[in-house]
Amino acid sequence: MKTFSLRFALVLLAALAVAGCDLFEVEDRADPNGPSVDDILDNPTRDALINLASGIEASARVDHHFFLIDAGVVGREYWRILAADPRFTSELLGGGSSTLNNNSFYITRPWGARYVTIRNANIMLQALDLNTTLSDAEKAGGRGYANTFKALQYLLNLDLTFEGGIRFIDPGDDDPGPLVGYDAALAQIASLLDEGAADLASGGDALFFPLSSGFSGFSTPVGLRLVNRALAARVALYAGRNSDALTLLGSSFIDPVGDLGSGVAQVFNTGSGDITNPFFIPPDNAVGDAILAHPSFIDDLEAGDTRADKVLDRGEPAEVDNLTSSFGFFVYKNSLSPIPVIRNAELILIRAEARARTNELAGAIADINVIRNAAGLPDYSGAVDQGAVLGEVLNQRRYELYGEGHRWIDVRRFGQLGTLPIDRPGDDVWTQFPIPLNEGV
Amino acid sequence: MKKVYCSSVGVLLALLLLFASSVSAQTNVTGTVTDAVSGETLPGVNVLVQGTTIGSTTNLEGTYSIGMPGGAGVLVFSFVGYRTQEVIVSSGLTNVDVELREDVLGLDEVVVSGLASSVARSNLANSVETISARELADISTNQTLDGAINGKVTGAVITSYTGAPGGGLSVKLRGITTINGRSQPLFIVDGVIISNDAIQSGVNAVTAAAAAGNPAQQDQPVNRLADLTPDDIESIEILKGPSSAAIYGARASNGVVIITTKRGRAGAGVQFNVSQSLGFATISNRLGVRQFTAETAEATYGEAGLNLFNQAGGNIIDYEDEIYGHSGRLSTTRINAAGGDENTTFYVSGVIKDDEGIVERTGYEKQSGRVNVTHRFSDRANVDVSTNFVRSVARRGLTGNDNTNTTFGVALAATPGFIDLRPDENGVYPLHPFNTSNPLQTRDLSNIDETTSRFIGSARLAFNLFQRDNQNLQAIGEGGVDYFGLDQSSVFPRGLQFYQGVDLPGQSIQGRTNNLNTNLRGALVHSLSLPNSNLFFSTQGGFTYFSQDLDRTSAVASGLIAGQENIDQAASLQTTEFQLSQDDRAIFAQEEVNWASRVIGTLGVRAERSSLNGDVEKYYTYPKASIALNLTNFDFWNVSSVDLLKLRLAFGQTGNTASFGSRYTTFGSTSIDGNIGITINPSRGLADVEPERATEIEGGLDLSLFDSRANLELTLYRKVVDDLVLTRQLPPSSGFATETINAGELTNKGIEIGLNLVPVQTDGFQWISRTSFWANDATVTRLDVPPFTALGGGFGASLGLIQIEEGMSPTQIIGIDDRDGDGTADADTYQLGDVAPDFQMSFFNDFTFARNLSLTIFGHWKRGGDVINLSNFLLDAFGTSVDYDANAVDRLSQFGTSAVGFVQDASYFKLREVGLYYRVPAHLLGNAVGSTVQNLRIGVSATNLLTITPYGSYDPEVHNFGDTPVASGVEVLPFPSSRSILFHLSFGL
Repeated sequence: MKTFSLRFALVLLAALAVAGCDLFEVEDRADPNGPSVDDILDNPTRDALINLASGIEASARVDHHFFLIDAGVVGREYWRILAADPRFTSELLGGGSSTLNNNSFYITRPWGARYVTIRNANIMLQALDLNTTLSDAEKAGGRGYANTFKALQYLLNLDLTFEGGIRFIDPGDDDPGPLVGYDAALAQIASLLDEGAADLASGGDALFFPLSSGFSGFSTPVGLRLVNRALAARVALYAGRNSDALTLLGSSFIDPVGDLGSGVAQVFNTGSGDITNPFFIPPDNAVGDAILAHPSFIDDLEAGDTRADKVLDRGEPAEVDNLTSSFGFFVYKNSLSPIPVIRNAELILIRAEARARTNELAGAIADINVIRNAAGLPDYSGAVDQGAVLGEVLNQRRYELYGEGHRWIDVRRFGQLGTLPIDRPGDDVWTQFPIPLNEGV
Repeated sequence: MKKVYCSSVGVLLALLLLFASSVSAQTNVTGTVTDAVSGETLPGVNVLVQGTTIGSTTNLEGTYSIGMPGGAGVLVFSFVGYRTQEVIVSSGLTNVDVELREDVLGLDEVVVSGLASSVARSNLANSVETISARELADISTNQTLDGAINGKVTGAVITSYTGAPGGGLSVKLRGITTINGRSQPLFIVDGVIISNDAIQSGVNAVTAAAAAGNPAQQDQPVNRLADLTPDDIESIEILKGPSSAAIYGARASNGVVIITTKRGRAGAGVQFNVSQSLGFATISNRLGVRQFTAETAEATYGEAGLNLFNQAGGNIIDYEDEIYGHSGRLSTTRINAAGGDENTTFYVSGVIKDDEGIVERTGYEKQSGRVNVTHRFSDRANVDVSTNFVRSVARRGLTGNDNTNTTFGVALAATPGFIDLRPDENGVYPLHPFNTSNPLQTRDLSNIDETTSRFIGSARLAFNLFQRDNQNLQAIGEGGVDYFGLDQSSVFPRGLQFYQGVDLPGQSIQGRTNNLNTNLRGALVHSLSLPNSNLFFSTQGGFTYFSQDLDRTSAVASGLIAGQENIDQAASLQTTEFQLSQDDRAIFAQEEVNWASRVIGTLGVRAERSSLNGDVEKYYTYPKASIALNLTNFDFWNVSSVDLLKLRLAFGQTGNTASFGSRYTTFGSTSIDGNIGITINPSRGLADVEPERATEIEGGLDLSLFDSRANLELTLYRKVVDDLVLTRQLPPSSGFATETINAGELTNKGIEIGLNLVPVQTDGFQWISRTSFWANDATVTRLDVPPFTALGGGFGASLGLIQIEEGMSPTQIIGIDDRDGDGTADADTYQLGDVAPDFQMSFFNDFTFARNLSLTIFGHWKRGGDVINLSNFLLDAFGTSVDYDANAVDRLSQFGTSAVGFVQDASYFKLREVGLYYRVPAHLLGNAVGSTVQNLRIGVSATNLLTITPYGSYDPEVHNFGDTPVASGVEVLPFPSSRSILFHLSFGL
């Protein structure tokens, strides 16, 4: 009896000696699933900043296809058909009595994703400030890059909410500022781009971080500045500052004799952690999940226009929800096709429009002809008055930039939303998307 | 310094052990225990000297022998299923024979009262639910444990969220206790806190269910409670709220479910038991399909539809029957052996289950083995060891919400009966002309398996340190682990229709999860009885240690090489890993005072810290206090027909630690063109997050009449949860979708009534009836943030949403509506319903004829509670709902204008289980198979035999998002529920 107790006590003693105080201690561990913001701001190394920079470029692609759906469907470029979610053909087209909802994916997803990229850029700006190892030029290059991306993200959201405005948020701020209306927001975006351009100008020869192949030819501070100025030209055009736009184009990569496709783009890859083009759906996909080109794209196309290859004849009409089209959307040829951010063709058309608006019609027509000839069309032969030339600019923008998120915004700028086709009785053409419910404004 | 302190505590304990001595003066008392009705002797009855831990059990002949310290005292005779009896042994008495009565209403069961103690139900100051083995596994054969408790817990809202094989249940005790935190009760099996995680399989890579509308994962996961085998369980005790669960501390806000598995009994010899169930499962409710005409085929599907309709020439296929019409074979084989001698008892069991689902190629298989051993080293030390190994395979098919038209439900909705999707003689599946996937092909060619290997083991050591006549000190050490490895493999070969035109056809989705829960607990229990003043004290204190480590890796390989499943045989590979770790440490103390079973008071406190709190060093304390007043035990009580009248009042607090990761604001990894990058996650953490705190007051009365033939239990409670860890939605322009904050308060008020009756009890016929009623009213009493959508609460206001809003029920459904009658949706949203039921009732009736034929009927009524039914909406949208031609135009025209039509009353009455069994009497057996076979029992049973509901889809019990803290009741073409009929044969050897 006693010996049992003795042995038992000895075993217990041994067990306690081994376990010791670990039985009572709780370890304060870092998040095992990723770096935390505090980790990075406490120790803003060059490597961490490189990761942040790549993260900005990668995250700028997220949910951008919803922007393309919104602008393209409302702008009657194509219809997104998804049998599992009828809202693409009801709410986006204003089918029946339905209206746009302020808590539905078509606004909450792209809006939120753009602000995620802005947050990433703001953290990079904070970290750049705190870093002690990079040179001033490297830091300036980083700031220019982050601010250029920020400005583009703001602009994409403003394109959707238009007069409803957007909110701005500065590095280090927890909460965004109030809603800023369209004109004031464009002005603020323009000054953000100017700030970026100034930084890039003092950014030295090279960036301290790599960029994807989407920035091929533009992956230096000098190259990024060309892109920055191109975006600034777009903003100036939107704001009606036509002569500013022409000036800014001079510092951009515009090249009337160059490849119309040259510029920067979102690129996709099948590598681990990467994404494929989320807006690629085979043009002949079953109608339950498809992007159908709006029939007017082919109906209104000039004979001989090679841009007919942006849609594919499906062979037989597809009919869904009282919408009928024989053509599938085929701008993006496969799941790795890049989505342009801004390219030479747009810059030439910006110049054409700005020239036309400043009554420099000959120059405008020359620019238009660059685009027309590239599409296999003869020179512009219409009336040479401001209205007609601007009409042709709009027409060329429609076909040249088809499926790149411009049509609806252009028609709106031209005050011609009423000219877009109504496919079913009761359908509506929306002017702008509502501010997401969760903004609480 | 601390280390020194800890070690010295250990040394002290060990020294106590070493020098503890037992007393010597004692006399032996012997006797025989028999059944009061039949007169048969009862082997295995526990005999205990009250106020001590001196115990013994009766042997095969029903006799016992026990050493009585001091020669006098009270002997307590207890036996499972019988009423406990106390016998006063005066000095000099050495022979005490006892007759025990069957305890048909379970009044005398012993119920847990602290971490290291238990108390007779009649002295309990809380409402604690007990589910016996009989209710759990004897009526019918449920596939999983969670299915077996559905409807049987007063005060619980249990929702089966999918009908898929392997189940999936959400259990909410006493209303809504958290908005974003852990909402499942704490499940403890033989002292081990087990994992009940529901781990998503990753098929979202195919269904893209989370790609629009609601980003919450919707892979229809199994929760891991499914791994336990109901047949191995002796009893389940359910501590429903903080007043009873406080001593379990910071993880107990949602209640505690204490599961005790079966153990062998001494003195009964070795009993073998073999049982076999065979049956079949069929869909419990069909929706029906639309009957097309040439005109409607053309109107819906255009010219192609008309041509195909004409081609079919009247050959119409019912695709609902084609997919969900399979009659699944069910088989369960169980073998167990139990027995032992006075020192060592054992229980060994093996279960093999092989169930098919109502969709071909779906099913659930389980093999489970258990060995439980109890050994007494000496009069002073004993050890209980429990081990369980389970392997299960669930094949659940592809169901639920999707954005790619690939799940069975959505593909079915896109399929009219006049097209033929069946494979030709070469096994080639025709292309679905109107959909991206052919559901028959998806079903037949893809493999979606989940394989779990799980070990749950524990050991409990009790040692009497110190023993005197009227007091003793016991040391209890407990430790256990729950380990599982989950292997989720989904393979979609490249030939499937939905890969047509896709760049990287063919996907293999492989998830591996390892989880280890480690539990340790040490306690000292001191009991002291003061016979002169009739006082009994029980004091306990100790520590607990809990840690969980979960690691999940997942790989999605796309572009598979033909015929290959290996993830490196693919063009693209996406991998993710998630790690979770939690460390909780607590100390506790509790004092119980019992004055002659008249007044029983308890005070307790637990202090706990956790690695999930912002301050990992800080101890949070959770107190409890309760008092029970047993009026019938007072001398003034002289109403003989009232056996028990007890008033009780209890108070307690518990916590709910924030979800793992709430402390951190973290980046996720991303990559572009080979450059690795980081991007901020959508949720902003709270560095100083605190646990939620639930405070509950409950009061009630227990009444037992007419020799315990009628028994009423009434409980009222009020539970307030403060410091809710909310994941507030942020303005998305902050760059975050959500942030964690401690804000808000929830209040639950409720009533629970249990009425147990034995209306007839004769030799020839016995009727036991148990009726329960429960209702809970939850309100968000404070919300420091704007209203927001509950996690998994729907897809947008136009389809109906579950919205958290101050002053409202947390489960309210809101949506758009046209109340001004202008034909478009109003700017405001309106409350359209509430998921929470008005009340629930359950009816358990057990009839026994001539002691051998028994009929058990278990019904469950849920009154009120709405569900957002989007199945019908999708069927309408695809043009295939059964009443499309009559009503769909009307319904569809409401879309975008009003969500009222989606919010439907989901009241139901379900005949959940019915069992009819015949026990072949021994005298008949004697002739037929000799004396080796005993207890031959045959029977037939059914689950979900009947459902009465106004709800307009498969089953009013449903949720597309699995187990979410608040939301339930969003339906998107789920795996339909099934009804099963089973035949049973069991015998003992």
